[in-house]
Amino acid sequence: MTAAPKMRDLAHRLLTYEAAAGKASEPLESPTLRVYEKLRQSLGEFAGVAGFQALAFRALTQAKSEAPGLWALQVTADGSLQGLGEFKAQPGEFEPQLGSGNDQAGEGGVVLIARLLGLLRIFLGEALTFSLLRNAWPGEAFDDRNSVYGSKA
Amino acid sequence: MNTQDKVKINKLPTGVPGLDEIVGGGLPEFSFNIIAGAPGSGKTTLAHQFVFANATPERPALYFTVLGESAIKMLRYQQQYTFFNPAMLPGSIRFINLSQVVLEKDLGAVLQEITKEVEKANPAVVVVDSFRTMVRKPESDMDLQSFIQRLALFLASWQATTFLIGEYAEDELRDNPIFTVADGLFWLRQTAERNSIVRKLQIIKLRGQDSVPGLHTFRITDAGVQAFSRTFGLSGHAKNAPSHRRLSFGIPELDKMLDGGVREGDSVLVAGSSGTGKSVLATQFVAEGIRQGEPGIVAVFEERPQAYAERATSLGLDLETPQKEGKLSILYLRPLDLSVDETMHSILDAVQKIGAKRLVIDSLAGFEMALSPGFRADFRESLYRMIFALTGIGVTILSTVEVDESFTEFPFSTYSISFLTDDIIRLRYVSIDGQLRKIMVVIKMRGGNHAKDIREYEITDKGVVILGKRLTDYQGLISGIPVHSGRPDSADEPALDTGIEHET
Repeated sequence: MTAAPKMRDLAHRLLTYEAAAGKASEPLESPTLRVYEKLRQSLGEFAGVAGFQALAFRALTQAKSEAPGLWALQVTADGSLQGLGEFKAQPGEFEPQLGSGNDQAGEGGVVLIARLLGLLRIFLGEALTFSLLRNAWPGEAFDDRNSVYGSKA
Repeated sequence: MNTQDKVKINKLPTGVPGLDEIVGGGLPEFSFNIIAGAPGSGKTTLAHQFVFANATPERPALYFTVLGESAIKMLRYQQQYTFFNPAMLPGSIRFINLSQVVLEKDLGAVLQEITKEVEKANPAVVVVDSFRTMVRKPESDMDLQSFIQRLALFLASWQATTFLIGEYAEDELRDNPIFTVADGLFWLRQTAERNSIVRKLQIIKLRGQDSVPGLHTFRITDAGVQAFSRTFGLSGHAKNAPSHRRLSFGIPELDKMLDGGVREGDSVLVAGSSGTGKSVLATQFVAEGIRQGEPGIVAVFEERPQAYAERATSLGLDLETPQKEGKLSILYLRPLDLSVDETMHSILDAVQKIGAKRLVIDSLAGFEMALSPGFRADFRESLYRMIFALTGIGVTILSTVEVDESFTEFPFSTYSISFLTDDIIRLRYVSIDGQLRKIMVVIKMRGGNHAKDIREYEITDKGVVILGKRLTDYQGLISGIPVHSGRPDSADEPALDTGIEHET
């Protein structure tokens, strides 16, 4: 089973946003890591370290079955990602070739974030998930375009 | 001190239907409260309702979760309630997980973390769920009492209204110094009584507020916690002055027996065995009220409203039209684990909605059966509260009750509740001339005259029809097996008793 297309679209959008934002501030940092860390911070606040870690571990397990390139990634006890250097994408690399065969790292990032978002949607529902995303990305508009069911998020 | 010099304590809405009435109008602003109870008793839901009712972007709510229920799952479940507004997260309501601090550090660090977040957010509401799970390390340099003392002082100075949620068993209530710190102590109970779950809420203390004492039932529905005050939400209602108006049954002969009709605001009991026409009489009473412009409520427990209305149609009484016109409400109440307070809430809602003047409870036996077993034990006491509350606001109540027919006694009710009623009308079967016929007698009218006559009646397609005059040619009518005396029936007008009460 693969990540839901809507969640993939949303993940892609977040990664694109962070890739652009990262170019200016920290050009060498992976967009995947930036998105993941923002989610960790936002989700960790109310779910706690253990709560986020459990969710992230599950998301990574799902993602690995879909994107084998993620094999080296681990979720540590504090919920952070380890082993990202193994497939770190070059700045700006993943966006244009997203999903293409020569960008396993970019595809893996999309899958991982999509899986994490998918779990959030399952547990918290769409409204709360978008509420959380709006908090983590206050500059981004999460509107009907991103709504899984096409309703106002 | 002059009243004007006294500090005014603002009352905040609890967000829990019925609870504002119980706590005396709302929760005191800046109060430090503890919600205690066993797991599953509704503590978290109650706190959530308060949070959603009071949080704003300017003065948000901080909801600290500690060990225990996973925050993700808590939000998953809580958002099922209708009060949960996801748009309020995280702008107006922020959930902050402190489990890591609790696990790795001590209560001092927890206090520090709460302090930091409070200073940052300037919240109007702070909830710590559950504070009891914070006591994990015996070597902690701060005990729970000291932690709560300091937390209470800090949060009060930050003008936050606070709820601490804790799992406590009943026997822990006594001599627990933690509870002395709190301004408000809410105790939620959940007990299994036979096959029913009964939930009760008690405000053990609430400083500066005139809360309603005692145990109040509450229910958790998809709208969250709903509380039912023992005063039925009528504590603020002015009592109506006794009325001298008489309410007609729409049966002229019966009205004569009642010296013009039932006094407005009375509680009337119609007692009789199965098939004697109690419900018919009750239906005529409410239908006559509607005819005279007095909206009515019929609370039925043994048949559905549609069937009740159809039966009325067969008696020539139209209950459909007044229902459509909002002059009559037929309530069907039979979930089998009701409390009287919940029933009352439904009835009062209907009374207020249509401005009802007459209420029929058909029947008390059905009402009792609809209650959870635990409440049945308090049925008489509950009836007393209910009747007192409703008649106090001018509603005239007619209740029906089934009594076992006996040939050795003449009981008025199986509930020993005649003291709760102002007027009693007794219906019974008698064996006359090889027929099972029906007689009616007014047993009592508190403070008023009534006929002493025993009258025969029939149930026809026009309802209860009283036949002829009083039966004077029989003796021992109330025994059910009268003896023919040979005297002709009286042609006199009904002789009126002077209102001497006949108690059961």
